[in-house]
Amino acid sequence: MNNLIKLELARALRNRKFLFFSVIYPSVLFLLISSTSGATTKVDGTGLTLPTYMMVSMASFGALTAVLMGNSERIAKERENGWVRQLRLTTLPGRGYVLAKTAAAAVVSLPSIVVVFVCAAVLKDVRLDAWQWGALTAAIWAGSLVFAALGVAIGYLADGDAVRPITMITYFGLSILGGLWWPTATFPAWLRDIAEWVPTHAYAALGQAIEQSQAPHARDIAVLVAFFALFTGGAAWLYRKDTLKA
Amino acid sequence: MTVMTTQTAPVVDFDQVSRNFGNVRAVDGLTLSLRPGETVALLGPNGAGKSTTLDLLLGLKQPDSGAVRVFGGTAREAIVAGRVGAMLQSGGLMDEVTVAELVGLACALHPRPYKASDVMARAGIAQIASRKVNKLSGGQAQRVRFALATAGDSDLIVLDEPTTGMDVTARQSFWATMREQADQGRTVLFATHYLEEADAIADRVLVLHRGRLLADGTAAEIKARAGARRISFDLEGETDERALRELPFLTALTVSRNDSAAGSGHTVRIQSADADATVHALYGLGLYPRNLEVAGLGLEQAFVAITAAEEAKTK
Ligand SMILES: Nc1ncnc2c1ncn2[C@@H]1O[C@H](COP(=O)(O)OP(=O)(O)OP(=O)(O)O)[C@@H](O)[C@H]1O
Ligand SMILES: [Mg+2]
Repeated sequence: MNNLIKLELARALRNRKFLFFSVIYPSVLFLLISSTSGATTKVDGTGLTLPTYMMVSMASFGALTAVLMGNSERIAKERENGWVRQLRLTTLPGRGYVLAKTAAAAVVSLPSIVVVFVCAAVLKDVRLDAWQWGALTAAIWAGSLVFAALGVAIGYLADGDAVRPITMITYFGLSILGGLWWPTATFPAWLRDIAEWVPTHAYAALGQAIEQSQAPHARDIAVLVAFFALFTGGAAWLYRKDTLKA
Repeated sequence: MTVMTTQTAPVVDFDQVSRNFGNVRAVDGLTLSLRPGETVALLGPNGAGKSTTLDLLLGLKQPDSGAVRVFGGTAREAIVAGRVGAMLQSGGLMDEVTVAELVGLACALHPRPYKASDVMARAGIAQIASRKVNKLSGGQAQRVRFALATAGDSDLIVLDEPTTGMDVTARQSFWATMREQADQGRTVLFATHYLEEADAIADRVLVLHRGRLLADGTAAEIKARAGARRISFDLEGETDERALRELPFLTALTVSRNDSAAGSGHTVRIQSADADATVHALYGLGLYPRNLEVAGLGLEQAFVAITAAEEAKTK
């Protein structure tokens, strides 16, 4: 299985478009957004400056891109072209395929987090304690597993032409509603009430709590755990259904 | 009393296996068993159920009823033990990796792998080892699939229409490689439409039609079963088709007009289970057949005759 992980990873790292959108693009977006106002502007209700706040949003966004975009389309395509069937004729255990894909995505998502942090620290003078940098990286990285499971579920749910639009809608929906592009504090009240329950909002809130040196909110943790259970359960169910059908 | 030893245990055993898709009976009460070392062709027209049969064998599909055993266990157990190598008709490949990387993966996943470079040399893809898999021609991709199926020392090799998309030379060298595999004592099962392949390569031919096994024997036996001989001749003037139809051992008859310089006439083509008796009776009718030819049926005609007879029966 390590061989498959290595090969999946090599393939991901060779894909320039994918690397651009998951590693470079979030940093560029971070620099653009954090330059729209003074470095000392505080985001309402957080006590954090805009660059500090957006750093976590964009690192989360980059990790989301890395784990969601690559896998869903690949899985749908490889189910369709029969590679998944061919792999079932090898000693690779059934879940090996999905685990290898997830592992490879997790490796790519790490640089997309770190590059945003480096941009923030070097170009936008964001300063945090050493433990905070470590905790942020760990939390955002681990939290991305929730969306990796979602990517797998979409890959097994949708076929061919449908998978791209479904992935895109999910991706932009999660990014915008979760407040990864604009702080939810700028949303109208009704939209803010919805955003509270979106997993990407809970995901970014985890990082922002670390920046504020606070314990994460119990509700954010609960939302993430619930969605993780939902996505992995859905992915496992769809996977089994697909295996029986093939 | 007979004692079954493990050595003679069948490689593959189907017991009354059926599989439906909606109201299509893709495989219908199939019972068969493959013995070690056989090279077996699974022959049948489009939609006969060949791929479904192989999917059931490989555990990619589950039967609605009946039992499939591979080396006495489940297909999955045999695959995990590295005893089965397979090439699917719809077997996709991983995109954007090189041929060498993909073959290397197949070798790494096999419990008794061969060296990747040897596998590629044998499959005739050593020259394209550094090529991206998604940039290959149809025939080249087919050879890569073959390399994946033969990445290790498997006892059974299953191939679904392996030479589709290969040119004539590629096909010949493919079968030469395949014979080597069979000569090493492996059991080989392949599905094909190419009757000459079944005739030339297989020890045993299984004819599948509408999910049922119509014939099981050597190519020669199947030809014999189909009404062994083909008789053709020309007749001048009017032809009494009714009288011809009464000829003994006749299994098929066609009469076509044949107007030549010599005058108007007909060409008659007959299939007969006993050509000697049929020709004897033909002279007995007082006819003077010209250009008389008696020939064995090719496997192709045998195949058409067997499936046509089956169609007629089911009507
Ligand atoms: N997944 C499926 N869903 C519905 N029907 C199917 C499915 N797979 C096969 N069939 C039907 O089952 C029958 C047997 O198909 P199968 O693919 O086994 O034929 P085949 O002998 O391999 O044909 P070919 O020579 O064209 O490859 C066909 O009528 C086909 O339409
Ligand atoms: Mg087929």
